[in-house]
Amino acid sequence: MKYSDWPLSAPVNITWEITHQCNLRCVHCLSASSNASPDELNFSECKGIVDQLDALKVFEINFGGGEPLLKDHFLPLLRYIHTKGIVTCISTNGTIHNVEAMELFTGNPLVNVQVSLDGATPEVNDRIRGKDTYRKIISGIELLSGRDIPLSINTVVTALNYGQLDALKALAKSYKANLRVSRFRPSGRARQSWDALKLNPAQLKEIAAWLESDLSILTGDSFFSISQDGRRKMGLDMCGACKMTCCIDPIGNVFPCAFLQDLPFCGGNLREKTIKDIWDNSPVFKRFRNLEPSACIACPRFENCRGGCPAVAYFLTKDLNASDPECLVNWSRGVNS
Amino acid sequence: MAFRLADNVRVRKENWGLLFYHQSRHKILFVKSGDWLQPEHFNGSWTLEKLVQDIGQRTGKSADIIEKTLPGLTRRLTANRMLLP
Repeated sequence: MKYSDWPLSAPVNITWEITHQCNLRCVHCLSASSNASPDELNFSECKGIVDQLDALKVFEINFGGGEPLLKDHFLPLLRYIHTKGIVTCISTNGTIHNVEAMELFTGNPLVNVQVSLDGATPEVNDRIRGKDTYRKIISGIELLSGRDIPLSINTVVTALNYGQLDALKALAKSYKANLRVSRFRPSGRARQSWDALKLNPAQLKEIAAWLESDLSILTGDSFFSISQDGRRKMGLDMCGACKMTCCIDPIGNVFPCAFLQDLPFCGGNLREKTIKDIWDNSPVFKRFRNLEPSACIACPRFENCRGGCPAVAYFLTKDLNASDPECLVNWSRGVNS
Repeated sequence: MAFRLADNVRVRKENWGLLFYHQSRHKILFVKSGDWLQPEHFNGSWTLEKLVQDIGQRTGKSADIIEKTLPGLTRRLTANRMLLP
């Protein structure tokens, strides 16, 4: 599917990193969150952005950060968004147990909650998310579970936890939650932990087969470049950056995706431009839509995926025109050689 | 019978047609309908007859062609749970 045949007037969904403040220091954090950034968007500015998204009929906003529940105006902002009928997905680290949030989430058809957990045991999870976090996260999941809240547990698959995927699936099921798995990418703090935590080609091959064996595991488009046919038929088959989605950071910068929050990829700032202007006219966004990595053009899968993950390619090679080193074709070479 | 969006479905106009979104399944559906269909056609007040007439007036297409094409489109939308059966 070529974007030029199906251009969108606005994103389908937005990833919105509402703050850089976080009480955890996960070694793979894509935004290297710790303290709030100076000059984060205030409530009034955020409401103005919501008004723009509503006018453009953006369907869904996925909140992350940082820890969204630490942002002082996050719950009032959610309430404001819900008056517009926009669906929200809140990614939380599960350690902030907030009664007001629970009440807002419960029975709310516009809320989905995703709790991050990076291992089925404290030994594995806490090596990634920090000391004693497994216990706190499970407490958070227990508070959310059993209420009328669509809940998923999200695991970033790394060399540490890939052997626990079945256990994580069972754990999610025990809390009546879906398991969602995300690809480990070398952005934010993950650039430092990449070599230690990245999957090798054989592990990637195993995960591709595991994902294919159970299509109920959620992935979004995270694993599109290693997915096999069954999952690709679900439409999870190409990078959506600048085509279906984009990312707003805590100070209003708009990037192609949450994994590409480096200034060279900034399409503009919402204090200076509208989201519509950035979506339609940003040279960065136009460039992304036309990306056709020369290394991929001869590949038999190119018409399907249009190249792999640009973020992985860029951070590993510093060349957006390079192929994704972990794509199906590339790791097959690695496994076979 | 009038066409109506299923619960939890939203739709917006694009220059190539309509983009449907199912909010509880987080699914989207691209429908290349050009300017034939508008989001308001699915508000429950448009019958097939009214729809054919409206499309004909706006696009200049004959009722024959529209009547042959529309059922396929609406069947696809219903099969994908975007429209109420």
